[in-house]
Amino acid sequence: MGAERLADVIERFTDDGGGPGAAASSETTKQWQEEFDRNFRRFRNLHALVTRPVEPKVGQTPREEVYKKNKSRLYRYASTRRYRTPLLFVPNLGISRPYIFDLLPGGSFIEHMTREGFDFYLLDWGVFGPEDNDLTVEHCVTKILPRMAQQVLASSGARELSVLGYCMGAPISASFVATHAEIPVKNYIDMAGPIDFSKVGLFGLWLKKEYFDVDRVVDTLGSVPADLVRAGFKLIKPTIDLSTGLNLWWNLWNDTYVESFQALNRWANEYVAFPGEFFRQWVRDFYQENKLYRGELVMGGRPVRLGTITCPVFVVGAKEDYIAPPACVRALLDVVGSRETEYAELPGGHISLIAGRGAARHCWPKVAGWLAPRS
Amino acid sequence: MAEARPDALFEMWRKQVEDSTQAWTRLLSREPPAATPPDPTVFWRPVLDQGLQTWAKLFGQTPATPELLTQWKQFLDQWIEAWSKILGQAMGTEQFAKLMGQSLDQVLVLQAPFRKAAEQHTEQALQALGLPSRNQVTAVAKQIVELEERIERLEDRIDAVLRRLGGKEPT
Repeated sequence: MGAERLADVIERFTDDGGGPGAAASSETTKQWQEEFDRNFRRFRNLHALVTRPVEPKVGQTPREEVYKKNKSRLYRYASTRRYRTPLLFVPNLGISRPYIFDLLPGGSFIEHMTREGFDFYLLDWGVFGPEDNDLTVEHCVTKILPRMAQQVLASSGARELSVLGYCMGAPISASFVATHAEIPVKNYIDMAGPIDFSKVGLFGLWLKKEYFDVDRVVDTLGSVPADLVRAGFKLIKPTIDLSTGLNLWWNLWNDTYVESFQALNRWANEYVAFPGEFFRQWVRDFYQENKLYRGELVMGGRPVRLGTITCPVFVVGAKEDYIAPPACVRALLDVVGSRETEYAELPGGHISLIAGRGAARHCWPKVAGWLAPRS
Repeated sequence: MAEARPDALFEMWRKQVEDSTQAWTRLLSREPPAATPPDPTVFWRPVLDQGLQTWAKLFGQTPATPELLTQWKQFLDQWIEAWSKILGQAMGTEQFAKLMGQSLDQVLVLQAPFRKAAEQHTEQALQALGLPSRNQVTAVAKQIVELEERIERLEDRIDAVLRRLGGKEPT
């Protein structure tokens, strides 16, 4: 079969090209030329990736450090401020670094929000070391967040602020809002943040009390090292590296894709450890006993009742989120006391909900659009 | 016509060799740019272009199109997705969760005495060398964190007093 085809090829190749298929053949030749050119660029970019790896410049939106507390930093981003109410963004603690929200110019949630005119503050929890192993979720809710919120109000000169919690930052910030009525929170947004941990998917199953001995982990290791965090997240989607590699090869000819890949790849491989006591409380109170949703959580002597949140609430879930499935995120609306609530389920996964081209199309305008008239 | 075919192929090959030779000559006579890392693609491109064009022409005469590669990529994507679903289903069972928990427990049980012994030995070695151990450094860092907390509490009190005294917002 192969020999016959080669013979046909040579036959046609040596023809003058005046036959009926000449136009189609010329078009196919052009397509092949483009394909070969792509392959050439693939090899060129592969060579550059291997021999001259470039450190991607991430987090380029101008910002200033407003306040610091131990490892945590509060950053205020330069903006064309059009709205009076500042926005405090509370991301996850541990797992990964927050520069994913300001990855590259043109692909940054923070850049988008500042351009829209929001006075944007980011709480960077920082990278914790063994000296922080005693840090708890309770400390974050009752000590760090109130101080950061006060600093936002002081530096912005506003009377109220909006709070946006992403991922783990959502249950933590919701606990803070629910227990600190003295901090005037005007709007609250939960983006891909689990609230009802009975619907939290694979992690919920793996971390069940019967199977996962959190005390043994923390007592033996002290903290939860970055490598263990990496293993957990890789396991939840074991084919991710394969599909990432395949997509990289497929798009390797595209310089813009390669630049984005380098930035995203740097972030995706920069895991952050959990302080030991934080992890213990996080797994036990939230994953294993679902205390937040059931109203049994106590922080700093105050009961955490999500029903005390009465400001307008916007909840955003991602359709293909396997870390915080939409059902466990949407559950916030069942328990808050707000009269003005809205839920949006947008395309994307846990990360692509907020970072990437899809996010720029679906999520960012939606969040900015909801927040703008209320700010 | 049939007699001309081998000649046409030979002529094309000859032309390609000549073009390649000229491209080589041009490249070799060029001064290498100073302090620029070598980019083999730039060097090879003029030479390879000849061959790539020939191959494109050759492939253009076949029923094959680059669409085949797109279909192949789609097939691989679907294959990976299918495996992802299968693995997801397997990992979403109570048995898997139990097995994983047991494995982690075993690793930790085995690791614990080794970790403890290693920490003790390291501490003794550092003590013998007159160097601070990890625990000592951690203790100092904790003290700094506690001092920071105390300063914050003092700041809060001063702010409160200032507010009460003058009704003025502290900076």
